[in-house]
Amino acid sequence: MKCVMGIDMGSFRVKGVLWCQGSESVTFECPSGGDFEATARRAQKELLLISGRSANEIVGVLSTGYGSKSVMFADETRSDIACQCIGVHALFPSARTVIDVGDLHSKVFSLDENGAPLKFLLSGNCAGGSGRVLQIIAKVMNMKVEEIGEVSLKSKKPVDFSTGCVVFAESEAVSRLAEGVPKEDLLAGIHRALSSQINSLAERLGIEEDVVLVGGGARNPGLVKTLREVMGRDILVPEGPHMTAAYGAALLAGSLYNFKEM
Amino acid sequence: MAEQKKKHKKRRTATRAAASIGPMVKEFIAGTVRAQREGAQKLAYSFIVCHHEEILRAMDVLPIWTENFAGVCGAKRDAERFLQRAESLGFSRSLCTYALCGLGFDHWREELGEMPPDAPWGGQARPDFMISTGQILCDPRAKWYQAAQQYMPDVPIYNIDLPYPLYHPDRDHREELPYYHKYIVEELKGLIAFVEEQTGKKMDYERLWERVRLSDKTWNLIEATYDLRSAIPCPMGTGDAMNTMVPINFMMATQDAYDFFLNLKQELEEKIKKKEGVVENEKYRLLWGGGLPSWFALGDFNYFNSKGAVFPAETTYRMVAPIAEMNIPKTDDPVEHLAWRWLGYWTFWYDKARQRKGGEPDVERLINYIERYKIDGVVMHEAFSCRTWHVGLIWQLHQLAKIYKPIPVLRLGKDGNKTQAWRENPSLVLESDIIDITSYSEVDTRNKIDAFIDTLESVAKSRVD
Repeated sequence: MKCVMGIDMGSFRVKGVLWCQGSESVTFECPSGGDFEATARRAQKELLLISGRSANEIVGVLSTGYGSKSVMFADETRSDIACQCIGVHALFPSARTVIDVGDLHSKVFSLDENGAPLKFLLSGNCAGGSGRVLQIIAKVMNMKVEEIGEVSLKSKKPVDFSTGCVVFAESEAVSRLAEGVPKEDLLAGIHRALSSQINSLAERLGIEEDVVLVGGGARNPGLVKTLREVMGRDILVPEGPHMTAAYGAALLAGSLYNFKEM
Repeated sequence: MAEQKKKHKKRRTATRAAASIGPMVKEFIAGTVRAQREGAQKLAYSFIVCHHEEILRAMDVLPIWTENFAGVCGAKRDAERFLQRAESLGFSRSLCTYALCGLGFDHWREELGEMPPDAPWGGQARPDFMISTGQILCDPRAKWYQAAQQYMPDVPIYNIDLPYPLYHPDRDHREELPYYHKYIVEELKGLIAFVEEQTGKKMDYERLWERVRLSDKTWNLIEATYDLRSAIPCPMGTGDAMNTMVPINFMMATQDAYDFFLNLKQELEEKIKKKEGVVENEKYRLLWGGGLPSWFALGDFNYFNSKGAVFPAETTYRMVAPIAEMNIPKTDDPVEHLAWRWLGYWTFWYDKARQRKGGEPDVERLINYIERYKIDGVVMHEAFSCRTWHVGLIWQLHQLAKIYKPIPVLRLGKDGNKTQAWRENPSLVLESDIIDITSYSEVDTRNKIDAFIDTLESVAKSRVD
């Protein structure tokens, strides 16, 4: 059986999708770690293990993401924006604006009715506008990043963060904690600050509906809620929003090898 | 699978002319240090785009282009120690980093009484006087030398103010030109008097006319040379133009500048004849639509090239326009001519902009280049420390997208039918700085370029013409 593989080598997590013709796709994810090349090979191995396929059944591998060039066994490399567009379009054909909250950047891009990227903007070099700020604040609070979104939803009085800089946000969070500000208010405040930055980016690009939120940040219910509030519009979130680039990469690999629909 | 299939793309070489610029600048900087030692010529700190090169050259004054030296420090990735010194003096990193680099260098040189250790290309010579400018292009240029004077209190400054009428869609700027002209002539005459005082020489106006005519001739030659870049494949890109800007901006009013462009024109004509392009398989033609480059990252132009993209045109540093199209009034006074040429340059796109609904001169220039050079996409660079120029770039892109949609595509309507529509050129905004390398991430920049190339590809596929 012919199979293709999409690998999204993110700076925080690697995500992989294996698609074999005529069968369900399988997925795998794990932390990227310090050795991208080794992690990519691990993802390849795990995908084969889960699917019960052998390496010689794979006819094409397409890599994307921050460390895409470290995926030495890939046949093709595409930008994560191109892969996200394909992945999101397959799930939501009505999507025209995509917000991708990743570890190093938040990205906003528009796509046409065929899933082709039209234009894009990235948050600046400072990680203050990306998912990294949530990780840092989680660390300050001695919590797991997966927990902070739920906790933030309990807030009655979100704190106003006066900065978008991740270093300043960290010290501001420490000061507020010392003042006795409840954790949920502090977390709701940081989610709101990040949402405001993402909204500015989206406004700068120009928002066209439907809007879809993807990336690791989209797994955070606190961010989804505040982003909807700040943007004042509905935002669609797919199941497994962090997998859409890998999914798109697999679809793109499939189209290069004339696969039928997944 | 394609294990170890990836291969390194060969780096394209620059034009011979562009490759000759590095040694030329190095010799120029060394020449100013030599001249200072010998004391034969007066040296003046100067800024580019002030239309005073003819005056300086006619009076045998050797300009020291301080922005150029800061750029050299940046290109050699040796600006940080001067930036840090300026910071230690209390200047903020958010100020113009050219100015910071220059101030840090000046302070160090004055403190030592000699060049700082391992000064890039021998270092920047101490000036006899400084010519700052309050012209609209850049605000720190009025303050930079005032700050430098703290370390060189014996070095006098002349500040030259060169305004031009602002664009208004419903007002003919020609009505205001005489007033501006009169003012600029007085400013230039003031500069001549200042230089006469500093050098102890009187201006030879015949000699000045010779320099002015040489510049005019060079302007026209540059236009003709750069127009050759509209050829497909493109024989010279913006990466090279960031070198060939040197004769335009630092050597104007010299025979060397004219000869340089004669040689470049000939080289480009040969390349066109041989169908020799910057890239082997030219896929995308891009416009560098604004912003100074990151001097430490000019290799990014080669990265674009490795993706089949080439830059046939740029607005940056192309500080010339066709003289014949400016309708410069006839005059016997070279100073009056300089003032008219200044106004002609800065208002060059005004009439054309008025002819388009929502038009604006800077945007009109982009549109003109997009059409003339058959451009597929626009790239700009927003340098955080260069506020005056870079702050309007995003607005220009928005305005361009609003009023100019040259790409025919099919759009799927809600009724399921496809209709023809028009879309704008894709655009990319790079973010970093002119010389502050701490603002730059090569990985991020190249990821952005990759995404932009994918966008260009998808737009090319969606074209229906």
